[in-house]
Amino acid sequence: MVIQTVGAFFAVISFSLILELPKKYLVLSGTIGAVGWLLYLFVQAAAGSVIAAAFLSTLLVALFSHIAARVCKAPVTVFLVAGILPSVPGASIYRSVSYVISNDPVLSSHYLVETLQVSGAIAMAIFIMDSLFRLGKKK
Amino acid sequence: MNDKLLVETAVLAGEIMLISGAEIFRVEDTIDHILRKAGRNTAEAIVFSTGIFASLNDPSIEAITVARRVTVRNTNLNRVYLVNDVSRKLCADLMTVEEAFERLKEIRKTVQFHKRLKDMGYMGVAVFFTLLLGGNARDCMAAAVTGAVLAAAMEISQKIRLNDFCANAFCAFLIALTTLFLEKWGLSGIKSDIIIIGAIMPLVPGVIFTTAIRDTLNGDYASGTARIVEAVVIALAVAAGVGAGMGLYQWLAGGYFIW
Repeated sequence: MVIQTVGAFFAVISFSLILELPKKYLVLSGTIGAVGWLLYLFVQAAAGSVIAAAFLSTLLVALFSHIAARVCKAPVTVFLVAGILPSVPGASIYRSVSYVISNDPVLSSHYLVETLQVSGAIAMAIFIMDSLFRLGKKK
Repeated sequence: MNDKLLVETAVLAGEIMLISGAEIFRVEDTIDHILRKAGRNTAEAIVFSTGIFASLNDPSIEAITVARRVTVRNTNLNRVYLVNDVSRKLCADLMTVEEAFERLKEIRKTVQFHKRLKDMGYMGVAVFFTLLLGGNARDCMAAAVTGAVLAAAMEISQKIRLNDFCANAFCAFLIALTTLFLEKWGLSGIKSDIIIIGAIMPLVPGVIFTTAIRDTLNGDYASGTARIVEAVVIALAVAAGVGAGMGLYQWLAGGYFIW
């Protein structure tokens, strides 16, 4: 679990290089990503559900991103985009395709549905945090 | 105050943000804030994922309207951050419009990380994702090779100006093929599935998807749906590429699969 979290930290930083994140926020966004992934692992172990794990970890990442954005006076996207990377359902997309290739339509559609569910969970989590932070804010 | 320059500045700021992958409401908000500095009656900005319209009007002046078409897209969060900073300073009167315009022209060209460093980024994502998904040292070594292939494939497709769909499919195809052949010849016993998953991660449209969701839920339906479709198309391209790579390998390796 420790190794995986370290992996998440550096994976998010590597991804930030590709996205040209501002240099001074590299470590911060890596930390946000790593904490999110740690929660993902805990929820997955406790509840056994990828969807719940993606939802809760994205919720946490979004919360930290909003706080970091307000503290650093930077757009939320800067932290959010790299932070949610580990929960993005790349694995489900891959498995869905690989079962198409090995002629197993049942498992393939199972993973296709999982992809959609995880995407939906991530979307909901981002939306909830966005809405919470916009409460009481005048236009 | 020079209204014309102000509108130009606002639209330039919006254009940079839009190209660099900011959400629609942030772009509109930025343009709005800058335009409002003119103190005219009407200051409107309409932003789509493919273009910007900004207009400034008042009984005392002739209306100024600027339209700008945006075709390229190149995620660069540093530019979003810098433009945000400029607009903040401009609105707090810490910067004149002329200064802001010059600064924005600079920002349009800023690149923080060298190309080689970005190649390292692709390798890094592949290696550390393999680690994150529970790979061991051998898996990570294989992932480094696959990541390097990905970086090279990216560069090639940029050089020959491959369109986005084909570029993504091409990269995913090479990733699958490289990993499976590594498993067969070089490093037998590696977990090819998690290596492929790690390596396709930079291609999977997580950023576009996030922005699409935030656009849609903010009420920018036109841009939101456009970006969701963009994300789906990219995901399909990646899936097609990986599928083609695995299919070719299966065919070359004699028609049986060991998972």
